[in-house]
Amino acid sequence: MIEQLESKRFWHDFDWYLLGACLLLSLISLTEIYSATMNDPTQNYFLRQGAWVCAGIFAAFLVAGIDYHVLSEHIPWLYILSIGVLIYTLVLGRTVAGSKSWIAFGSVTFQPSEPIKMVVVIALARYLSELRSSKYMTLSQILKAAFICLLPMSLVALQGDLGTSLTYLPVIAVGLFIRGIRPAALVALVLAFVLVLPVSWLFLKDYQKERILTFAQPERDPLGKGYQVNQSKIAIGSGGLLGKGLFNGTQNQLGFLPTRHTDFIFSVVGEELGFVGVIGTLGLLAFIIFRSIYNAQTARDNLGLFIVMGVVGTYFFHLIVNVGMVIGFMPTTGIPLPFLSYGGSSVLTAFIALGLVICVRRCRYVN
Amino acid sequence: MLQRDEQELLRWRVTFIGYVIVAALLVLAFGFWNHQIIQGTHYDQLAEQNRVRYVPLVAPRGRIYDRYHRLLADNRPSYNIVLIRENSPHTVQQTVGMLGRGLDIPVESLLERINRRRREPTFRPILLKEDVTVSDIAFVKAHRYELPEISVELQPRRRYTGGELAAHALGYVGEVTEAQLMTPEFVDFRSGDQIGQTGLERQYNSVLRGQDGFKRVIVNSFGREMGKLEEQEATPGNDLLTTIDLDLQRAAEDMLDGKLDPEHYPGEHMGAVVALDPRTGEILAMVSKPAFDPNLFATRISGANWSSLINDPGKPLQNRVIQSHFSPGSVFKVFMAAAGLETGVLNPLESIYCPGHATFYGHTFACDKREGHGTVSVYDAIRESCNVFFYTVGDRLRIDRISQYATMMGLGRKTGIDLGNEDPGLIPSTEWKQRVLKTKWYAGETISVAIGQGYVGVTPMQAAWAMGGLAMSGRLKQPHLVNPQELIKIGFPGGRVLEEEYPIHEETVDIVTKAMWGVVNEGGTGVRAKIEGFDVAGKTGTAQVVGKQSGLKGKDFKDNAWFVGFAPYRNPEIVVAAFVEHGGWGAEAAAPVVHAVMETYYKKKTGQFSDQITTIAQR
Repeated sequence: MIEQLESKRFWHDFDWYLLGACLLLSLISLTEIYSATMNDPTQNYFLRQGAWVCAGIFAAFLVAGIDYHVLSEHIPWLYILSIGVLIYTLVLGRTVAGSKSWIAFGSVTFQPSEPIKMVVVIALARYLSELRSSKYMTLSQILKAAFICLLPMSLVALQGDLGTSLTYLPVIAVGLFIRGIRPAALVALVLAFVLVLPVSWLFLKDYQKERILTFAQPERDPLGKGYQVNQSKIAIGSGGLLGKGLFNGTQNQLGFLPTRHTDFIFSVVGEELGFVGVIGTLGLLAFIIFRSIYNAQTARDNLGLFIVMGVVGTYFFHLIVNVGMVIGFMPTTGIPLPFLSYGGSSVLTAFIALGLVICVRRCRYVN
Repeated sequence: MLQRDEQELLRWRVTFIGYVIVAALLVLAFGFWNHQIIQGTHYDQLAEQNRVRYVPLVAPRGRIYDRYHRLLADNRPSYNIVLIRENSPHTVQQTVGMLGRGLDIPVESLLERINRRRREPTFRPILLKEDVTVSDIAFVKAHRYELPEISVELQPRRRYTGGELAAHALGYVGEVTEAQLMTPEFVDFRSGDQIGQTGLERQYNSVLRGQDGFKRVIVNSFGREMGKLEEQEATPGNDLLTTIDLDLQRAAEDMLDGKLDPEHYPGEHMGAVVALDPRTGEILAMVSKPAFDPNLFATRISGANWSSLINDPGKPLQNRVIQSHFSPGSVFKVFMAAAGLETGVLNPLESIYCPGHATFYGHTFACDKREGHGTVSVYDAIRESCNVFFYTVGDRLRIDRISQYATMMGLGRKTGIDLGNEDPGLIPSTEWKQRVLKTKWYAGETISVAIGQGYVGVTPMQAAWAMGGLAMSGRLKQPHLVNPQELIKIGFPGGRVLEEEYPIHEETVDIVTKAMWGVVNEGGTGVRAKIEGFDVAGKTGTAQVVGKQSGLKGKDFKDNAWFVGFAPYRNPEIVVAAFVEHGGWGAEAAAPVVHAVMETYYKKKTGQFSDQITTIAQR
């Protein structure tokens, strides 16, 4: 690995454009986190996030440096280790905002369910790429693939973190779709999902039900549960074409935006940088996604393709749910926006995912 | 490994996912286009409403002073608790639930207050509790993060330094009513504004009211002020200098309350006193008892206080000086004498025999002195208040000439005082009876009118005014509590004090005023009003509340006592009318009250007055 890092080849094949886009996003993120929290001197969110970004870049290089085939070889015990960590968290974890999904290292808290998603991505990619040739997957194959994903996913759900557990879904969905399942099975799966929804309603907590009801009917309680989204829409809408300028967003600075440095960071972007800033930021995210898709298309093997597409599914799901939420297209869920939202687990996972994509690209010519 | 065509399919599916993502991103981009470009201005307004709060700055009302710039009414700082529904994180029900306990107000009454103004813009503060205590303020401040929609607002409040002192003249302030807002007078007022509701507060509301200011401030999501965009300071209202002399006012009130001379004049009395300067029309004192404390109205008056004021049989809110008329009794004889002399039906040298009663039109009318006054001149008739004499004069005059002269001299019509709801009183005539009672006048009724009974009704204000006019040889100055010249000084249209003069012979004035001097100074009915060195003249009156023959006894049926006096009897400077409801004899119940006011006036004039009273009022 060290050899690889030192080799000219590594640096030559490295996807600098992808890394550049991510660094630009991190810059926007740090600026807006600074803007969103400059009036709160008690917590130094800006420095903490800066440290996580550095750690993320380091992790990205590390992951990019390891051949993904090596990762794939070691994935069985990594997967078992991950399940162990999730169970540990479930039992001994720390509860934050109603979810027992956190582990504390001193003053630093971490959400293992985020990076473990990448373990699941690799595990599923290995399983799908090693399947014998056939146009469609058999039922037992589907079930096995689903199990790989659903086991950690249900553990996360048990931790009470429904939002994060939902982010495991695109991994299996994208994997199954690309590997190929019969149209009938596809319909059946979608149907099953639709049928499970009303049942899962019974398992939702009151505040979660409230969120969904509010999404369906925002004027239900404009000062209560709909408050966040209303204020977010006001922030974004009032940004106009060019925005109110950095550090000048009134919704942001005067505290009308809730959780503005984490889940609603994109509202701050919308308010302070305007439509231009929104399109620029979305453009960078889109660039990362499409560059990754291109990397998937040009991957040396299907293992690489499935790994990258798992990452793409995760990125996209986070993007659509989070950005959809801040303009009221999606219900309120605590799902962060990759590279932009404040939070160590989220940033680190986004960079690990980036490392995987770069790795797959780097290795495309290796024989 | 997959077959080659399967591999193709796989890559096609990846491309397909790419298309799905493109589509989704386009939807998102459209969403932002819609919010930021198409609806941008709308959301911009919402953001402005969020951050900018309009805070009204209530202007303090002008102060009210007596004629020597001694304070009668000013303002004190007070705090209200208000609700601003805009940006509230709670529903009204939630807010009220949390607040009700802390402020100790029933939730229903809070909801009622809010509902009454629920259609107003949500940024407009709704008053929840006024004039709050320190502990109420502490509760709100302690919960400002849980209840950011609740805040404490400063509002200057009216303070009447003397309590009940001159309550009816000053009047009181209160929130402008919905009905008042509909009238042109209050077109530039808003719901919740304080306005003068009665008395001088009402009459000179436009002078006393200030110009409210406002400020537009930037607030954060907790409603805390972060900066100021614009401020227009409130302009306080103009101070009002009245003609009231606090010392005379206090003397009259204390006398009626039995506090000034408890040895000779004990107990609380209902009634009215008014003192004025007949040369100018300035009112020096205006008392109506029972009174009320206008401070009760400065804060929204409580239901219990209001109903006790409204249901009090003594009608404390009524200004008896100008808003009620009463039979003047023998006070009226003065005007009868003047009318008789002026018309010539009474010869100045004529004497009439009083046997103690007289018969007119088949009815026998009694004199107060059973054994009779014997032969009396007009001088003695006034001095001793002989009924028979005036029955005769009245009979000669007839009702319409009585009416004509009484009206001319200032009775039975509004005096034009600068206070609202003045009662015109009543001087009957044949025309009046035909118009109002739809029957003809009986000559016998004139006999009662001649001694100030029957239909005749006079307000204490009219009694003082007309008496002053007569003593001033027919010159009537419009009575007023605020000199119009003072208004002009502070830039308001003031006009002039109206003056009228009726023709009367100097000889008539001499005879009548000399006789009234006799009433006080030569063993007449008004000896208790006598002041050594100050030629007080006046006339008593004792007006029956029910007919003597009814036999009803008790406090409520006791006669009403009058005394209307002026001094000095030549070139008068002051007229005082005292009316004591159910006081009994005018000589005993009313004359001492006039004496108290006159004596204070005289002491002040001659420099013997200690200003103890002054300090009480200033406290």
